[in-house]
Amino acid sequence: MIWIGDVLVSQGEGGVYSERMLGTARVWDPFRSKLAALYHKGTGVEITAETRVLYLGAANGTTVSHVADYADVVYAVEFAPRPMQDLLEVARRRKNIVPIMADATRPEQYVPLVETVDLLYQDVAQPDQATIAIRNSAFLRAGGQLILMLKTRSVDVRKEPDVVFQETVDALASAGFVVQECLWLAPYHQDHAAIVCTKPGA
Amino acid sequence: MRGMIYGFIRARTPYLSNMRSYWFGDVDDGKCTLFGGDVQAKAERVRLIRTSMESFVPLTWETAVTCGACRDRADYITKLREVCFAAAERDIRQQYSGKDAELLQMVRTLDEMDTVINLLTERAVEWYQLRHPTFTRKYRKTPAHIVVKNIREKSRGALSFVAGEIERLSLTRTELAKAVSGRANDVMPNTSALIGGLVAARLMAHAGGLSDLSRMPASAIQVLGARTALFAHLRTKSPSPKHGIIFQHRRVHNAPRDCRGRVARVLAGKLAIAARIDHYRGIADLAFLESAQARIDMTGKVTGKLTGKENEP
Repeated sequence: MIWIGDVLVSQGEGGVYSERMLGTARVWDPFRSKLAALYHKGTGVEITAETRVLYLGAANGTTVSHVADYADVVYAVEFAPRPMQDLLEVARRRKNIVPIMADATRPEQYVPLVETVDLLYQDVAQPDQATIAIRNSAFLRAGGQLILMLKTRSVDVRKEPDVVFQETVDALASAGFVVQECLWLAPYHQDHAAIVCTKPGA
Repeated sequence: MRGMIYGFIRARTPYLSNMRSYWFGDVDDGKCTLFGGDVQAKAERVRLIRTSMESFVPLTWETAVTCGACRDRADYITKLREVCFAAAERDIRQQYSGKDAELLQMVRTLDEMDTVINLLTERAVEWYQLRHPTFTRKYRKTPAHIVVKNIREKSRGALSFVAGEIERLSLTRTELAKAVSGRANDVMPNTSALIGGLVAARLMAHAGGLSDLSRMPASAIQVLGARTALFAHLRTKSPSPKHGIIFQHRRVHNAPRDCRGRVARVLAGKLAIAARIDHYRGIADLAFLESAQARIDMTGKVTGKLTGKENEP
């Protein structure tokens, strides 16, 4: 990852969402993007020019645009039509984004489109986030990594965030993932946790 | 054309379990059949392919090159992107083209205008009271719009302008209400016939769309818009709400207090059926409307005197 001092940046065409620029570098704000927050908290996951990414919950394409600056290709899955309009606009300018309008809970919808990827990034506001990750891990190569951004409040508002967090980690572990890093994204994002796992090698 | 492609892919996949369908063509035991259609046809094809995740064989760009779909990886991504853009743009258009999509925005605009007009009127009155310490609305049945008119005529400067602006907003609101009612009659003719276009549109907006409303049970429609009361009931021992938005209909609020709940329940039951006819058929069903009206009217008239059981047919 590229750091200028203690500022995380990505190299690419600016003006996607009026982000701050440092010369030609686009500042990647940890308060706006959960992935940027994860890097600020310190993680071992690197995205390089060879990385192929499946991005679930692409939303308006804000974080996607930064990921695309680093990655080889980003398969960006989004379900709702309004954010999809924005995502398409971002994807028109970044030739390595493949925008897919589909439901992440039904990966069979995009089987004919998506190749095997090195990184599965998931940021969806759904109750069954572990299940979605497990179903989509069919696209992940052996040894590939999963980053799950857990919105604990989307799973169950009545449960304590810690309980939801532990349940999700357990579900991923029992599905065969090797859990590497678990951390809360505070102070950047409240009640959000990041879980980094590896899919075991063949 | 649509039916042909659909039939083709559906029919072949289950029997030839080795065949994999991808956006560029079908791969069967290493043999590849290129799909000849243009970008739009490919986008259509992608939506129709059914693959189960159990028999999942990941796609590789090399297969596409061997197949003759593209020259190299860069070309593969370019062509794939074209297909994905076409598919997404078509899906967005499809989701927005639902007749209820615009009605939804109209209703929400209307409700927000109501809120704004009420807030501004309250504020203007408070301002006016400051200049006229003897002014009060107590014991006076002056409607709000007349009060606003008086404020505009009797004050000068900014306050007069604000009052004038509230009046203009109210005019726009009236026009919008008419438009909502008219559009609702068109989009949901059965529901509108039972409860009036404006209330029908509000129900639809609360449910989140016509298809959502048509999938709701009658008991949910009955208390739609009574969220606070419903959750208070679920949490504590307070009585359950009898009605939500449908209270706005004269049949419910004109009914005697002790049988309002009953009228609301019967009305909601008929509304649930009406919403389904509206969603799946989209035209007024006169026979249904006649029987439904009769049933609701009977409930309203009879139940005040008789017990519930005697009222049943």
